[in-house]
Amino acid sequence: MDGILAAQGLIIALFVCLVLALVTKYLSIPAIPFYIIAGVVLGKAGLGLVASDPISSFFSELGLIFLLFFVGLGLKIDKISENQREVLASGIIDLNVNMLIGFVAAYLLGFSLIEALIVAAAFYSSSTALAVTSLIENRKLMMREAGTIIWLMVFEDLVLIVILALLSAGNENLLLFAVEILAGLGIMYVLAHYGKEFLVSLLERDDELPILFTFVSVLATAGAALFLGIPDTLMVIALGAAIATTDPDAFEQHARPFKDVFLVIFFVFFGVTINLSGNVSMGVMAIICLLAVASKLISGVLTGIALYGSAASGIEIWTNTIARGEFSIALAALYGSPPVAVTIAVMVIVTSLVGSFAAKYSGVFTHGFGGGNRHRGPPRRVRAGH
Amino acid sequence: MALRSLNLPGVGTKYEFETDKGDTVAIFFTKAGTIQMYTLQKGCHTPSAAEMTPVEARRLGNILTGAIIEADQESVEIAFSALADLRVTIHSYIIPRAIAGKTIEDLGIRAKTGTTVIAVSRNDKNIINPPPSFVFETGDAVLVIGESDQLRLFEREIMVD
Repeated sequence: MDGILAAQGLIIALFVCLVLALVTKYLSIPAIPFYIIAGVVLGKAGLGLVASDPISSFFSELGLIFLLFFVGLGLKIDKISENQREVLASGIIDLNVNMLIGFVAAYLLGFSLIEALIVAAAFYSSSTALAVTSLIENRKLMMREAGTIIWLMVFEDLVLIVILALLSAGNENLLLFAVEILAGLGIMYVLAHYGKEFLVSLLERDDELPILFTFVSVLATAGAALFLGIPDTLMVIALGAAIATTDPDAFEQHARPFKDVFLVIFFVFFGVTINLSGNVSMGVMAIICLLAVASKLISGVLTGIALYGSAASGIEIWTNTIARGEFSIALAALYGSPPVAVTIAVMVIVTSLVGSFAAKYSGVFTHGFGGGNRHRGPPRRVRAGH
Repeated sequence: MALRSLNLPGVGTKYEFETDKGDTVAIFFTKAGTIQMYTLQKGCHTPSAAEMTPVEARRLGNILTGAIIEADQESVEIAFSALADLRVTIHSYIIPRAIAGKTIEDLGIRAKTGTTVIAVSRNDKNIINPPPSFVFETGDAVLVIGESDQLRLFEREIMVD
């Protein structure tokens, strides 16, 4: 039982997260910011109760790997082509506005070129999990904007994969790198295609096999990728995408427990390892947070006008996409220098909380802005008719 | 009435249809397992919504198909549209004292009503496809299958015996 004793810190952190999860679910506010804050408080920047060790970093990595595996599983490129125009229009507006504002702001605030790029990518990617939860919890699924938001998240995921690929390529020969990735992806597609019947029959069993298979295949893929010197992040996404051609729902069901638990560890230990002594001023962080909220407002309103000719629609899109979350933290954990990690952490904490309240009370905003226009139109027509 | 179904990545499946009078009903089966139903009255901009557990949704479904639900007795009507609109109903009943001690054969359930007892639940144990020699006890919950007319006959002929 020495192992359990050695993992004391992990157990303390998880217990705190359990309490936080209970409280945040009860209040229906996002849990991610509180996991990070808990990590900061418990970790080296705070009380120093919990420190990162090989056990916790292994679990954190698993969290990240399972998150990316889910991104792969959710890739439905064939479905995008059905409402291409809408997805492309909203996706491109969102990408350009937010990447540009994020990058220019970070660069002007004194980050280096590559740091600014990572801040911009984290600044750009809204949290898919929080957007979906907010749509469901606030009973907004029927709104026409809900579809736009959901597909926007898929588009962001695709862009994120490209960004991950570019960042992990680093100084390598891009062509060789692309060939390696495509070869990996190709092998997995072939395996999934020819092993489909075997996989489906395996997943239908009700013993330990489906869950064991899911866990091992994700871990083995990451391990093999690292052994061969290709980025494990990309290979795990590729595995998800290949497997999605067999029975994605079953894989999701079996991988969910791993993702849920390990991702919490990932968030809390991201907080634990944060180094507040990094030289980022409060002013810089405040500006980034304000801009993070404002730039999604700009992209949201532009999208609303482009797709529905309505600023109120744009506000609705905005309120549900303010929250940054898991992907921003993932980028910070993978590629962020200490000052970048702190900035992104603060941005995620602020935007996820602001976003959760904005989405809940979006009616107030839409009445204030575009709602007024909508009301001014019809009454005049009614009077003319009588 | 045009029914559309749509797969929403990360959310679940959406079913939406517009009634002949122009109202819209949308149902979402979320990945979390809950079911959300939205109704939007024609000419209205904000839908109203209800969130249900799977059990609640099935209850609602039973009500909508026209089956009567009482405290301990409920029925499900299943329509197979591909089989010339074949409709069968499964109804549950609690065995009264009057027919306790008799077998399925004694009562002549099949001969008199055309219905079949397909399952009996007794003290939390389930007996599927009980034989004709099966003896009922007071308080047995039985599932009976048949057309709705046959079930009405069952209620009149057998349950009051």
